[in-house]
Order: sequence, then structure tokens, then C-alpha cells
Amino acid sequence: MAVVADAGTLYGLLAVGAGLATGLAGIGAGVGEQGIGAAVVGVVAEEPGFLGKGLFLMLLPETLIIFGLAVSLILMFAWTPFSGIVTP
Amino acid sequence: MLRPVKMSRVVVAGSKNVIAPVVEKLHELRLLHIVNYNGSQPSFEMGKPIGKAKEYSEDLIKLRSVTRYLDIKNKAPEKTYAESQILSEMDNLLNNVGADITATFERITAIEAEVKTKQDQAKALTPLAVLPLPLDAYYGYDSLATFVGTAASAVDADVARVSPVNEIYSGSAKNATFVAIFVPIEKAGDVSAVLSEHGFSEISVPKLEGSVDSAIATLEGGIKSLEGEKAPLQKKLADMKKQYEDLMLATDEYLSMQTQKTEAPLRFAETANAFVIDGWVPSDQFSRLKSELESAAGGKVDVQLIDDKEAEDLVEKGEDVPTKIDNPSLVKPYELVTRLFAIPEYKEFDPSLLIFIFFPIMFGMILGDIGYGVMSLLVLLMLKKKFRTDGWQQLINIVMIASVWSIIFGIFFGEIFGPLGLWGRIMGHLPEHELEAAKHAGLYFGEGVFGSLGRIGFWGIDIFPMDRLATNAVLLLIGTSIFIGVIHCSVGSIFGIMTELNYGEKKHAYFERLPVMLFQVFFAITLLGLVMGQMMMVYIGAIVIVVSIVMNVMGPEGAMGLAHVPSYVSNLISYLRLLAIGLASVGLAYAANQLAFYVIMPMLSGGATDSAEFSIPAIIVGILVLFAVHFINFLLGILSPFMHPLRLHYVEMFTKFYSAHGGGVEYSPFGHVRRFLKA
Repeated sequence: MAVVADAGTLYGLLAVGAGLATGLAGIGAGVGEQGIGAAVVGVVAEEPGFLGKGLFLMLLPETLIIFGLAVSLILMFAWTPFSGIVTP
Repeated sequence: MLRPVKMSRVVVAGSKNVIAPVVEKLHELRLLHIVNYNGSQPSFEMGKPIGKAKEYSEDLIKLRSVTRYLDIKNKAPEKTYAESQILSEMDNLLNNVGADITATFERITAIEAEVKTKQDQAKALTPLAVLPLPLDAYYGYDSLATFVGTAASAVDADVARVSPVNEIYSGSAKNATFVAIFVPIEKAGDVSAVLSEHGFSEISVPKLEGSVDSAIATLEGGIKSLEGEKAPLQKKLADMKKQYEDLMLATDEYLSMQTQKTEAPLRFAETANAFVIDGWVPSDQFSRLKSELESAAGGKVDVQLIDDKEAEDLVEKGEDVPTKIDNPSLVKPYELVTRLFAIPEYKEFDPSLLIFIFFPIMFGMILGDIGYGVMSLLVLLMLKKKFRTDGWQQLINIVMIASVWSIIFGIFFGEIFGPLGLWGRIMGHLPEHELEAAKHAGLYFGEGVFGSLGRIGFWGIDIFPMDRLATNAVLLLIGTSIFIGVIHCSVGSIFGIMTELNYGEKKHAYFERLPVMLFQVFFAITLLGLVMGQMMMVYIGAIVIVVSIVMNVMGPEGAMGLAHVPSYVSNLISYLRLLAIGLASVGLAYAANQLAFYVIMPMLSGGATDSAEFSIPAIIVGILVLFAVHFINFLLGILSPFMHPLRLHYVEMFTKFYSAHGGGVEYSPFGHVRRFLKA
């Protein structure tokens, strides 16, 4: 098969993709957490006993970043669609 | 253990003559969870308090106000008192000691108010020092209006315009101009209007005599003598607190108990001559309750067990069966986690045991470091002595058990304060050529060894000690995380199925709970088949997944059930956090070690590469860096391995079986746990 792009470029693109996956997911999780965080700080100011539950609620959107991370890990370690073209 | 304790519904009926001994006995036994009588039966009335209920509650109010003055809060008891001792000291405590404390406290409050007034006066006087007038010149006029205050600009000309007759003094201090203006009283309105144009703001002058300086000196002298009076009073209160703290808390406990007993009949049903108490008791304690009550009342009481069918009817009508969760002492701390979520209903499962099994393993897998594990154990042992309340003790026990697991996982991962850390220095590592060979074969799982045992593994692959940052290890841990997720969720689903069956909801059990489990288990099998290249597993997995989705559609939610299918997959992916958060903390530890041992120490030693050649200052700076970064990592490393498994339990597992029917009512038997009082 003809070599379409060199291996280094493709691997670099994979790495960029992986970085975007985790990074953008992180932004998403952050956006989700900002509202919860503000609300939790408000509640804790009124009632300090709520801190534990509040911290827990803040973790809920963190699943998003785990999804991003999963995609990154797959891209970096387990995704080999270009193996035919990448390996010379 | 996994189920709440079996309860029985009882009715206690007796003659009103024996109500006092019966209440006394019930209070002592702490067995009966009383169901409050709601007054719905026409032939029964609500009960009335017995004995000296009013006096006890009055005393309690008196005592509580005194304890508030002394700022006494609930704490762990240092000594305990006999009831007779409380009775003999209570009168003195409430009246003489109480009056003394109240008087002292009120005097302190009065002093504080007076000091405040004097301070305010002194503050108002200070700026007047720039004006050449004695204080008695500012007040006491019948025909003159006085304006004293600050002005933004010069006021003389404008005041003279509206009131030709005037007397104006001015002086400036601290970037402000102070003016004192005296005008005939009939011009007051005009002058006031003019002044407001100049940004005038008035100061109220205290009615004192003499010069400003001497007045301030007098005020300050007064404040000093008041403070001098206050200090010994405060010390007196502190001494009294020390002396009476435990006695007061014990008296509070005694009075609370007495109020509880005297007011108990409010929860009973009564006729003219008899009373009836409804309640729940743990089934195995019924005979004890019966015999104890009958002997206490001399046979004038009837304790009846209501049979299960009739009890079922009462529950149908809306009575809650109290949930008594009961676990062995090792599992007890984990009830805290259950309670934080909700008390299970009587027919549901108590998941504390499951949390005890899974939570520490998850915590250990995330933290997985001998150094951090030992450190957190030491810190917790210190905290355990300091924080003695039940809640803290439970929390500390939870994290202690989890820390032990993190040490165990630390051995698997070969980490003492991160990879590249102390492990290699203590246990040694693989020789260079074996390392190269492993890397070449694509079987590199890390370079540590278990001392002379070398690396340990199975099927010819030496997995342990596993460097979590190695590619192979990451892939293996991804698989392990999902595998733990499948087990965790499946246990939850099995509990869900059994709970639904307990409630007699077969359709929910087999077409709502079961498909979730089938889907998740066979989804994992399909993935495993793909990884291992076993197409048979993939086909079987795919078929069962389709079947489970069809079952779901046939279930109570119908086609809407399809909306949940993506969440079955995301539930499993969520367990990747077990790997991910661990990686983050390993990464930081790795960076710290790399920075200290391979950057700072060689650089500061003038490019030395061997650890024997490092200079002393280089080693000191390196250790400081290590200490700082590892400390931060340790703090983060305790918080997130705690919160994330908690979330996995609450969101991924509990939702499969818990509280499908609403929260439960905790078993709280009538009685009181004695803390400051001797039994």
C-alpha cells in the first residue's frame, strides 16, 4: 500500500487528538462544576455540616473528564487503524 | 448483616396505676420503638404527662441558659455521676451557682456595653481637639443652633450670607475640615441648607465637660478600670466552667431523661383507666421485653405480639417499620457512609458490608503507595486520639482500613513515595539487559523487584511490582478497573432484583433490574473477546446484549427504557477513575522524584550522576523539594481516593438497588444512652 503520510505525523496527530479529548472534556467538567461549586460554597456558609455532601456533589460532573481520558487512552495505546500505513 | 434486623409489632396495654413503672422499665430497656398514637380512635384519647413534667422542663430551661453563659458544649465525658449525687447537688447548682453565674455574666455584658459607649464617645471627641472650644460650649443653648461636623469646602462666606450673625470655628486634621458653627436658632433651616451644599456631615458631640483632651483622658481611664473589673470576672466564669462542666452536662442528661419519661405518655393512647402503647421491637428481644415489663408492673400489663399478617396490614396503612441496621464492629464505621446516603427501608438491603468490602480496595487501588499509606495511618492514629466524637472516630476508622489496603496495593505497585522513589533503593531493580529484553518483547511492566525474589507474575509474564506509568500496566489497569466495575454493578443489580422480589414486584425485578446486569456483564465479555481475539465470546456477548435490550423494552418502562441503555455503558466507563486518579497522583510523585534525584541533586553537585557524589547542600535542597511536593500530593491523595469511590458507590452501585421505594425510618428505641450518668 502506498504511504500516505509518514508515521511521525500520524502519531503526532493521534497525540493532538488525545490531548484535545482530555482537555475539552476537562473544560466541560469544569463548566459543569462551577455552578455546583458556587451553590455548595453558599450552602456550606449557611450550614457547615453540608461540606461532605457538597464535595460529593461537586464530583458528579467529573465523570465527563473520565470519558475524555478513556478516549485519550484508547487513542494513545489501543487504537491502531493506521497500522497498515504507519509501519513502513 | 446485609438485611436490617427482623422486627415484630407489639402492643403493650395496662392499667394506669402501673404506667410509671412501665415507662421506667421501657426507658431502661431501650427496646421498644414507639409508634406515636395519632388520636384517630374515638374511644382512646392522647395520654397526658405523668409526674413532675413541668418542673423538670423548667429546671432544664434554667440549666440550659446557665450552660450557655458558660459556653459549655457537648463533649466526651471525663467523669460520671450517680443519680443520687445529681439529685443532691441539683438544687445548689440551679439556684446558688446558677444565680452567681447569671449575675457574673450579666455584669460582664453590662461592662462590655459601657466600654463600647465610652469608646464611641472618645472616638467622636478625637477630631474636636482641632477646635479651640471646651466641651461645655457645644450644648445648653436656648436661642442658638449648633452645627458641628466635617465640611468638604470653606463654609464661612455662605453661612455669613444667610445668617449675618454667626460664630464659626474651624480646624483641619486627617484630610478633613472640622467646623463648629453657632447661629441664631431662627436661621437654623437656612444654614442647614447652605451647609448641605458644602458636603457637611454632622458629628454628635457627647455632653461632657472640660477640654477635649481631658475628657478623652477621663473616658480612657474609665475604660481601663472597667476592663480591669472585667478580667477577673471572666476568669471566674472560666474557673466555674472547669469546675461544673461535667456536673452540668450530667444534670442536663438527668433532666432530659426525666422529661423524656414524664412526657412519654403523650405518645400513648389512653382511656379513663388504661393505657396502650404501640411499637416495634427486634423479634429476638420480644420475650425479654414481655417478661421484664410484666415483672415490673406486677402482672398488671399485657404485652401482645401482633402476628405478621396483621402487622402487614398496618404497614399497608402507612405505618413505617423501623430499620435497625446491625453489623460486626469492623463493618460498623461504614454505616456512616450508608447513613450519609439514606437509611434503607425495612425490606431493603443494608449495603454497609458491601462498602466495607469494596470501598477500601478501591481506595487502595487509587492511592497504592506504601509511603503514603503508612503516613496516613500515622496521621490518623494521631487524629484518633484528638477527635473523640463518634462521627469522627467512624470516619477515621474508615480511612485507616483503607490505608492498610493502600499499603497492600503499594506492594503490588512497587511504590514507596512514588515510582523511582525509595523502592528501587531498598528492594533493588532489574539488571539492564533483562530490562531491555522485557521492553523488546513488549512485556515491560516496570523495573522493580521484590528483593531476591525478583519479579513475580503468572503465565510467564512478570507483572509485579507493576510500574503504573508503563503502557502495558495502563492497559492492564483499564481492564481491571472495568472488571471491578462489572462486579460492583452486578452485585448492586443482584441486590436490586432481590429487593424488588421482596416487595413482590416481579416485573420490575426481571425486566428492569436483570437486563442491566446482563447488559453490563456481557458487554464486558464482548470487550474481553475483542481483546483476546475470541470471536465466539464476541458473538455470544452481542446476542445477550440484544436480548437484554429487548427485555428492557418489554419491561415496565417500555420503549422509554431504551433511554437508559447508554448509561449502562457510561456506568462502567466511570470505573476508569480507579485507574485515572491513581495515575494522576503517581504522575506527580514521579515528577517529584525525577526533579529531586535526576535534576536538582545532579545539577547542584556540578553534574554528578552517581548518588554517592551528590554534595550535602544538593541533597538538602533535593529533600526539601521532595518533602514539599510529596506533602501536597499526599493531601490530594487522601481526598480524591476517598471521594471518588464514594461516588462510585452512591451513583453507580446504590442506584441499582437502593431506596427504590423511599428512605427508611431508623430504629430509635424509647430510652437514653447514659453518658455522664452511672447506670
